[in-house]
Amino acid sequence: MHTVSRVLPLLLAALAIAYPWAVPNYYLVYAGALTVMYAAMSTSWNLLGGFTGYVSLGHSAFFGLGAYGTGLLVVRLGVPWAVALLVSALLVTVFAVGVGIAAVRVRGASFVIVSLALVSMMNLVVQGWRSLTGGSTGLQVPSPFPGLHRGQTHIVFFYLFLALLALALLSWWYVSRSRFGAGLRAIREDEDKAESLGVPTAAYKVAAFALSALFVALAGGLYALWFGSLDPIFVFSILIASFMVLMSLLGGVRHLYGPLLGALIVAPAGEYFLIALGETQIHLTATGLVLVLVVLFMPDGILARFTRRRAGPSIPDESAGQRLQGVTR
Amino acid sequence: MSLRTEGLTKAFGGVLAVNGATVELRDGAVNGLIGPNGSGKTTFFNIVTGLVRPDSGRVLYRDRDITRHAPHRIAHAGIGRTFQLCRIFPRLTVLENMLVAVRRTRLRELLAGLRDKGEVERARHWLRRMGIEHLEDAEARDLSYGQQKLLELAAVLMAEPDLVLLDEPAGGVNPALIDRIAALVRELNAEGRTFLVVEHNMDMVMGMCDHVIVFDRGAPIAAGPPALIRQDPRVLEAYLGV
Amino acid sequence: MSLVLQGLALGVLTGGLYALLASGLSLYFGVMRVVMVAHPAFLFLAAYLTYTVHTTLGVDPFLALPVIVPLFFGLGVAVQRLLIARLAPDNLAMMSVLLTFGIALTIEGLLGTFYTGSYKSVSMEYATRSLTIGGVHLPYDKIIAFGVAALTLAVLFAVLVKSRFGQALRATIQHREAARLVGVPTERVAGYGFGVGLATAAVGGTVLALITPFFPASHWVWIGKLMAVIVVGGLGSVAGAALAAVVLGMVEGVVLVTVDATWATMMFYVFLFLTLLVRPQGFFGGRLAHRF
Repeated sequence: MHTVSRVLPLLLAALAIAYPWAVPNYYLVYAGALTVMYAAMSTSWNLLGGFTGYVSLGHSAFFGLGAYGTGLLVVRLGVPWAVALLVSALLVTVFAVGVGIAAVRVRGASFVIVSLALVSMMNLVVQGWRSLTGGSTGLQVPSPFPGLHRGQTHIVFFYLFLALLALALLSWWYVSRSRFGAGLRAIREDEDKAESLGVPTAAYKVAAFALSALFVALAGGLYALWFGSLDPIFVFSILIASFMVLMSLLGGVRHLYGPLLGALIVAPAGEYFLIALGETQIHLTATGLVLVLVVLFMPDGILARFTRRRAGPSIPDESAGQRLQGVTR
Repeated sequence: MSLRTEGLTKAFGGVLAVNGATVELRDGAVNGLIGPNGSGKTTFFNIVTGLVRPDSGRVLYRDRDITRHAPHRIAHAGIGRTFQLCRIFPRLTVLENMLVAVRRTRLRELLAGLRDKGEVERARHWLRRMGIEHLEDAEARDLSYGQQKLLELAAVLMAEPDLVLLDEPAGGVNPALIDRIAALVRELNAEGRTFLVVEHNMDMVMGMCDHVIVFDRGAPIAAGPPALIRQDPRVLEAYLGV
Repeated sequence: MSLVLQGLALGVLTGGLYALLASGLSLYFGVMRVVMVAHPAFLFLAAYLTYTVHTTLGVDPFLALPVIVPLFFGLGVAVQRLLIARLAPDNLAMMSVLLTFGIALTIEGLLGTFYTGSYKSVSMEYATRSLTIGGVHLPYDKIIAFGVAALTLAVLFAVLVKSRFGQALRATIQHREAARLVGVPTERVAGYGFGVGLATAAVGGTVLALITPFFPASHWVWIGKLMAVIVVGGLGSVAGAALAAVVLGMVEGVVLVTVDATWATMMFYVFLFLTLLVRPQGFFGGRLAHRF
């Protein structure tokens, strides 16, 4: 088991790095980059959802803000793209702290409502504020690599998204091993109890919310630089958020590689649908139906099927009693 | 002075759950809190630990006003508690349950690894004292109810409280374990921790407590050593409705 | 000034529809502690069905109600009994949101596929005329919409307060276990509660088709507005939701005529966030508070 968990990440990394050179055409590089982007985003979604159990349906707001922030900094202020990317992601994180403070004051149901409201709000702002964003006609962002042709750009962004994915995975892994992570998981299980053990639950939740927003914003920024054209309807769409949710849930929110696995299934499937059926709305139905099925029949995700619980369901009570006698005197 | 409350009042809808409760704990003692069902004992606990905000009144701990502080700040001040229906984190392992407790909010401590040597050692120490150290890798939901109660107590002790509030430690537990829990409480008390114990098992209360406070209709009606409380006519009246 | 009056009047009329729809949402939350994200998707489904009935048969949209309302009632019972009741109780709040979110996506995709993404509307001859009282113009379609919504809401209240079913439903909302102990079949009642909720969406959809053009994705705007209404009103309180709906409708109406449509919609979110910051349990009800 230990060797598997050591070797698997290396193997995956090697495969991923070789991918753009192993596929026959640039379209597959493009599809790969898109998949890795979604994997990075759902892994960061899972920084909040997986640990705390708080389901955010509004993370596309951070994607859109990251994208528009980066785009606007480049287009309006002429900031170098790498700086724009980082500054925009940082600003979104600060914004997420503010939203988080309002959102995590409330639990469960109300949190979901806030997260949904966030997307709709952002949509309104971006479409309403035409002078800044170009309104519903969108925003054109110049390519950061004008010397490269389209296919080469796909390769570059494939690796950029891969780096982001690695960063998100590393963060998840690190948090999962920290006491901060134990506190977040305790919040998922029983929030009042966690509070009474001294866990500052509100601060923890805001921190997780902001951290998760940070990586999604970075993904958004990279997307803006990659695609070069932003459509507010798409970047703030509920579909992006639902992809993050679906991928995480399908793979398994309690597992490091759960969202990644989900992304590897859902994103290529989505691309396939797009090719097979064209630009119809039926992919929404497919996404929705799969989500319903996962929630009903596999709420713990695919990976939960393969990992067994460490202890059986029955631990004899007598042994504890006997041990107790020896210990407490 | 350990814990003192002044005129605590809390109404739910039209019902006064706690009604002007002025209570003083004996420092360094095992204090018992008894009273008929619905006399406001658990609400009193919840107010002291910050889970419920009182309508009026004050909670003082070591002469500091902690009324309406967030529960985690009250925990940091040194007050720990268990819950009536034992609350643990069912899908975390026993060891993870132990490592949730936060003594103070320090970034370095929070980012420290879960397997931080010192902390894990401390956790194992408490698990050993509860006699459940062999279960450290089991998921908490797989433990028996008695084991879960011991785990809950151990997790509370990880936060190193000076004052421990126990809400019905004997509830739903077999007689042998009740005796062990009582012995543990005496031991932990001898090490300098003050206790406040809500309990319906009178044998346990009378055997374990140095000082007993009797609640009726949301306020204390008597307080004193167990032997005196046992004979207090007001207590008999409250319990038996004579 | 007359502009503001105009806005207020229109706001009250729209508020009636908000109240009807929000009461459905409150009902689901009350009986099952479920945030039914798919409510507006069903609303739009009803609107499109009305559109189909109207365009293919050429009849008044309200004639579709006797078919759509029972159909949606049955759908609601089915959704609760076949889907939501299957969820594990330990994480019902989040899982039910995801489930209904999936249903909403499914419906939106189907509507987009069958009806395309372009705007549709049902316009009746009476929609173009309006009633003028003291300089305030009230279009007849909006008056009718308000009337239908108010009537439905009145019937809903009467059912909740007077009937045995209403008693059982309220008992289930207030204390599920206690209700079960005294013999209320809470599972079945919850199913019917969902049925009633979706029936209000059916009525709402017909009314909506009459007063405004619609396209498949616009249900997200509605879920935002309605969520704001039930949070401001106090989660789970039907009366609170109705009151908040009218108040927010009026605010929207005034902002709509004095500023613009973006800000009018934005007001819902402003109120949502203010409520969460200042009074998370809501302003008009909210014993159920924010613990869920």
